[in-house]
Amino acid sequence: MTPPSPALRAAPAPSGAERPAALRTDNLSKRFGAFWALRGASFSIRPGEILGLIGPNGSGKTTLFQCLAGLSPATLGTVTRDGIPIGPGQRKQFLYFVPDGIRPFPDQSVDWVLRFTAGAHRASQNLLARITDSLQLGPLRGARLGELSKGEHRRVMLAVGLLTPQPLLMLDEPFDGLDLRQTRDVMGVLRAHAANGRTLFLSIHQLGDANRICDRLVLLSGGEIVGEGTLDDLRSKAGLTDGGLEEVFLALT
Amino acid sequence: MTARWLIEKELRELAASRSYWLLLLVIGALVGHAFITSVGIYAEASGIAGGPAALSQGLSPLEGIVVPILGAYDLAATLLFPFVVIRLVAVEKQTGGLALTLQLPVSFAMSMAAKAIALVAAWMFAGVVGAAALLLWRAMGGHLYAPETWTVVLGHMLRGVLTIGLAAAAGAVATSAASAAIIALTITLGTWALDYVAAARGGTVAAIASYTPSAALRVFEHGELRLSTVLVLLALGLGGLAIAGAWLQQGRTVSRRAMHAGVIVLGVALVCTAAAQLRSSRDVSEDRRNSFSRADESALRQIQQPLEVTVYLAAEDPRLVDLDRGVLAKLRRTMRSVSITYAAGSRSGLFERPNEHYGEVWYSLGGKREMSRSSTDEIVLETIYSLAGRQRPTSENEPAYSGYPLAARSGLAPWVFFVLWPAGVVALWWWVRRPRLSRLQTVGERA
Repeated sequence: MTPPSPALRAAPAPSGAERPAALRTDNLSKRFGAFWALRGASFSIRPGEILGLIGPNGSGKTTLFQCLAGLSPATLGTVTRDGIPIGPGQRKQFLYFVPDGIRPFPDQSVDWVLRFTAGAHRASQNLLARITDSLQLGPLRGARLGELSKGEHRRVMLAVGLLTPQPLLMLDEPFDGLDLRQTRDVMGVLRAHAANGRTLFLSIHQLGDANRICDRLVLLSGGEIVGEGTLDDLRSKAGLTDGGLEEVFLALT
Repeated sequence: MTARWLIEKELRELAASRSYWLLLLVIGALVGHAFITSVGIYAEASGIAGGPAALSQGLSPLEGIVVPILGAYDLAATLLFPFVVIRLVAVEKQTGGLALTLQLPVSFAMSMAAKAIALVAAWMFAGVVGAAALLLWRAMGGHLYAPETWTVVLGHMLRGVLTIGLAAAAGAVATSAASAAIIALTITLGTWALDYVAAARGGTVAAIASYTPSAALRVFEHGELRLSTVLVLLALGLGGLAIAGAWLQQGRTVSRRAMHAGVIVLGVALVCTAAAQLRSSRDVSEDRRNSFSRADESALRQIQQPLEVTVYLAAEDPRLVDLDRGVLAKLRRTMRSVSITYAAGSRSGLFERPNEHYGEVWYSLGGKREMSRSSTDEIVLETIYSLAGRQRPTSENEPAYSGYPLAARSGLAPWVFFVLWPAGVVALWWWVRRPRLSRLQTVGERA
């Protein structure tokens, strides 16, 4: 994959820790029957940061993303921006969510899906060309989405997300299905977008990937948030003096 | 700008749907069969085989050609088109595309409108083969009366809108396309059952059943443009789309979506009830089959007093069908105030011996009452004029409908409907589905 174009490499944004929250969730909860898939999730997303959502399988990561995006009704809780509550119907003005596991438009070509996304979200042709190039989608333009491999499809969905203009982009498992080199390259593309001022909230299954790209982390376990902050913050919360994210994850979950 | 993309997206998804291409192929065969059969029967009735000359008098292309040919669309709207609609709605849910659609920078109502526009366009495109059949009929020297032909076309358009609404609602509410298909078929069977029950019961059931898809279509096929039928079909179709739109908004709780859908159902019921009260109607048939003679219409309109009709005939009695269609419907269209009471106590009339009034029809006007057992308009009109104290006007100057016999057959029809149309559909399918850019081509571009 080609390195991000100069236009994507804007001046590095100041550290997210010093900035006010772009979005805040308070007590976000979701119940399916008697089972609470998400309980009292409260955390902040800061402008320009790459926030990682990590947690074991079934910990409620996708549920949290769906509730936050307004695509699934939360049982309890609020989402605020600058202290003002945002209803589920209004959230698409501020954030865009690319779910994991979707296979939309299987009969349409990659070229058309990207042009459709750019057209519907009023993205410039220049941005479309840059994203197509940076994610190496050129050779796939003529292929139908239903014909793509998992990794190819993942890159197309990433491009769809990157073409949208909302200040916050939420990606569910953005590296799933990508090989080592592709993962590294996509991280570069995402970092460039974050550096350009866009906030990213990524649900990541692989702790190594999360450690490499995220500025801060939200750790979810059993539907509850057990930690939020930088690796150092989480390490101190876990009572560890050293150790990587894996040790922190095991200590806190 | 976004609306254009939305409509293009829905049209592309439709073009990707095998069910739509199958509909196009089947509709060609159905129209072709209807054309060849009806033209053949029409030619025989017109004397091509040397039948009695009187048989061809009064032959109307409306019921001889237009209705049977376009009748193929009723079959398609019942058994094929719902699955095209369901695919468009349900597949988006199944593939996850709905999550992306819900996040587009437009209201979801606009997304649903784009779907509706694309589906109406698809239904209209399926009408091309029907239009070809009517043009072929004209090319053979056949007659078409534009107002009645367009009215039947309008009926089928509204039938399509109704199908779009109901199938979209089914596709939205059901968890899968298969479940949605079952719901759509259940609705169809339900309307058939309602038609069947209404034929035997009359009353409120019959009033409701007059708006089932097949009953509503019959109004248009009979050369009548009835405002209430148009509005009820539109309300049901748009109501179905609104329910689909409400249900697909997954960010809302199920109870909230159900409440929203309930409010829509209530609103549609109110609109339909109000629309059913409207009596505005136009007889657009060339032979004025839904009207009395112009002289009678003029005379009847001058009668100011309300006419009350009490009918002692059971719903299943064929005399009531004749009376309703041949007299009472025309009276409703013509006179200022007509109220009709169906007073028979039984369903069939077969066991109504104790009721000495059975078979009677009482007409009350201006305080006077008169009874008639006739179901022909001549005698009923005499009764009404007698009650009103008026002489029946003469209608000798009105030209009688002479009919349009045509003793001809088309040797071209089998080629058009069974060769050209399927070949055209397959060619169009290939053209639409062909890859615009191949992988090799785009690799080559990069190299």
